Amino acid sequence: MSEKTKFWILLVLLILSVILLIVLQSNANKVLLSR
Amino acid sequence: MKLSRVNNLLLVLIILIDGYIVVAPLLPNLFFNIQQHQGKRQALQKLIQPGSKTAPSGPQPNQVIIPSMLLDQPVLEGTVANQYKTLDKGIWRWPGSSTPDKGGNTVLIGHRFTYTNPRGVFYFLNKVKVGDELGIVWNNKKYEYKVATVNEVSPKDTTIEDATAQPELTLFTCTPLWLPKDRLVVVADLEAHP
Repeated sequence: MSEKTKFWILLVLLILSVILLIVLQSNANKVLLSR
Repeated sequence: MKLSRVNNLLLVLIILIDGYIVVAPLLPNLFFNIQQHQGKRQALQKLIQPGSKTAPSGPQPNQVIIPSMLLDQPVLEGTVANQYKTLDKGIWRWPGSSTPDKGGNTVLIGHRFTYTNPRGVFYFLNKVKVGDELGIVWNNKKYEYKVATVNEVSPKDTTIEDATAQPELTLFTCTPLWLPKDRLVVVADLEAHP
């Protein structure tokens, strides 16, 4: 696998990890404060 | 910078973020066990007894003391518009609810777990059982409660915030810990008041 391909795969994984963190964080507020 | 070094950096970042996602929810248990060994529960149990002072002198802040979850935290006031900010700081008294000195239903809300603050004020609310004692200091007066029910309800069930004829305390947070979808609700009846 070329370094360029690795770069794109890792970049996508990083973005997905950040999105997961944001979703999990916002979920706590949603459950607690929804009315 | 070489692309291989950038890839290594990305890999480290991914491991750090994913590691934090997995480990952060477990960390508070470690501190809980340490504090329990230090006898914090017994110290808090003494604080909720009538006559004991929660502050050395002067006015005492409004606070809630729950020995079974090693909690001793101020109760914060805030408008609905500022609810996110208030909850980030600690326990929020739902402004539509009563206060201990007025009777009725006093509703206190707190985070169980958030990634910005892993040890939410109500992280250990699940350790509170029926029959446990808890106390509230309100306007320098102490109110003692005994837990009557522990339930899980849907976030749409707002009846937990309804006014009640008898004085009681409702505490709620998110559950389960990892992927919250419901509310964990503890209702306590007033046992003793000034």
